[in-house]
Amino acid sequence: MAEKKGEGVFVFEPAFANATAGEPARQKPVGSVLYSEHLKLTDKSHIAEFAGYLMPLWYSSISAEHSAVRQRAGVFDCTHMGELEVSGKEAEPFLNAVTTNDVSLLKIGAAQYSYVLDAAGNVLDDIIVYRRGGERFMVVVNAANEPKIKVYLAAIQAGKAAIDLAKPERRIKLASVRDMRDTRTGQDSRVDIALQGPASIEVLCKLTDAPSVSRQIKDLKSFMFVEARLAGIDSIISRTGYTGAKMCFELFVHPDKAARLWQLLLDAGGVPCGLGARDSLRVEAGLPLYGHELAGPYNITPFEAGYGWAVKLKKEFFIGKKAVEKIAKSFEMKVARMELSGEKGIRPVRQQDAVIKDGECIGWVLSSAFASSFADAMEDRYATADRSATAGNRQIALSYVEKDKATEGDSVGVYYLARSESQKSKGKKEIVKRGERLEADIVGKIVSRFEKF
Amino acid sequence: MVVKGLLYTKDHEWAKVEGDRATIGITDHAQDQLGELTFVELPEAGKEVKQKGELAVVESSKAASDVYSPVAGKVTEVNTQLASKPEMINDDCYGAGWICKMQITDKATTKNLMDAGQYEEYLKGL
Repeated sequence: MAEKKGEGVFVFEPAFANATAGEPARQKPVGSVLYSEHLKLTDKSHIAEFAGYLMPLWYSSISAEHSAVRQRAGVFDCTHMGELEVSGKEAEPFLNAVTTNDVSLLKIGAAQYSYVLDAAGNVLDDIIVYRRGGERFMVVVNAANEPKIKVYLAAIQAGKAAIDLAKPERRIKLASVRDMRDTRTGQDSRVDIALQGPASIEVLCKLTDAPSVSRQIKDLKSFMFVEARLAGIDSIISRTGYTGAKMCFELFVHPDKAARLWQLLLDAGGVPCGLGARDSLRVEAGLPLYGHELAGPYNITPFEAGYGWAVKLKKEFFIGKKAVEKIAKSFEMKVARMELSGEKGIRPVRQQDAVIKDGECIGWVLSSAFASSFADAMEDRYATADRSATAGNRQIALSYVEKDKATEGDSVGVYYLARSESQKSKGKKEIVKRGERLEADIVGKIVSRFEKF
Repeated sequence: MVVKGLLYTKDHEWAKVEGDRATIGITDHAQDQLGELTFVELPEAGKEVKQKGELAVVESSKAASDVYSPVAGKVTEVNTQLASKPEMINDDCYGAGWICKMQITDKATTKNLMDAGQYEEYLKGL
């Protein structure tokens, strides 16, 4: 048995697809802040390196943890995610120049999805910007991209990164940038633990006796947050997540308090979930992963990914604006969500497999996952009986396809690329180009770009 | 879990050798690493393979892995139940989850496999 690099395992590799020279070398993987908690719950063999951290892939099974989030509440170690603090008088203009969304629209207690581009318009990361005060922001970045973003922001501050290709002399006024996970940040340090799923509000409210805090939590709308104490722990309680769950929270607490909060969430009924379910849930929901549905080998833009709204071209300036203005108007590919059969014994579709429509390749699979059928999920949501979770009976794939050839409801299929010598010897192709005529191995259909739960 | 009386490879296949016949499967360590299996590509009966030659492919939602032949031989029988029930490998990898049976064509190839004790030591070193 040999795990093949670049297939399957790619999901858990740092999405460092756009690595360029001069990026900091990655160090030996370290246990996440919650590493010893994971070892209490699962065998070492279920722990793998992800973005330089040793993280759990699953505790019980991917399908059981996936179902726990759809039906009850799941708890995720997200302490590997990067949190940067941007503060000072110039914080808002600085962030408005560095990110694509409009920071001036952000009220205190609100968050927004956004992008960091380079001057050539390449996506360096997708991020969430939280406004904690008039001049104080928290920026959550992808674990795999954190070293790159820190280097990039430092280069901008030092005047060493190109900001405007047309005006090389252009500079941005400086703001203070701190790594919130750095121990030197002291009491302001924060790491992320996610609590996701319909029961997450009940789980969370068990952690506070203060009616005012419960009220604040219950009143939180999507992409809003409050700063309050949970079981005596100073927390940023945010209604955000990466699972598509309507009821979802991310809790940002001091690293020294993370293990205690983790245990309290499990005691209150949260089900520990690993990276496997984190990936299958976000694929099912249609959410992009940097390096797969954004940037990556196809250099996918926010417009193609379905997030053009987070790139505010009306803003006077942001880094990369000139470059993306052109592509915003004309692009021929897009990210589409597909549903395929996923019974046991059906071969999983994988990254780079060809998407076939009317006997012709119109694009490629970017990510895929097994998930229980939507009908089951609906039924379970209203069922009182606790049904045991079984492996999914459908596959959801996110694919990169010709924009005009994939409308919701269209029949499409997938051609499996050769994954072994014997498949190659039977004539299976290893690469398929757009426009090539091929018969699909498995049929399915284009479904809505996102699914809500 | 390692079962006594079987022979093992470094790639985590096992072989139960009886005379010039062998039953082949993947080990508990392998199935545990892969997680819930969703697909098994079985060899065809009659297929001849060298030792370490490609025998089957097992796939979970996490990864696709080749299964290499622990011995040189010819496939005589395959566990067709795995086609619709790949999870049998997760449930009982040394029993009902066997992959195929082989006629060993070069008996010398069984000599370089590990026994249960050696495989257990090998796992500890991973």
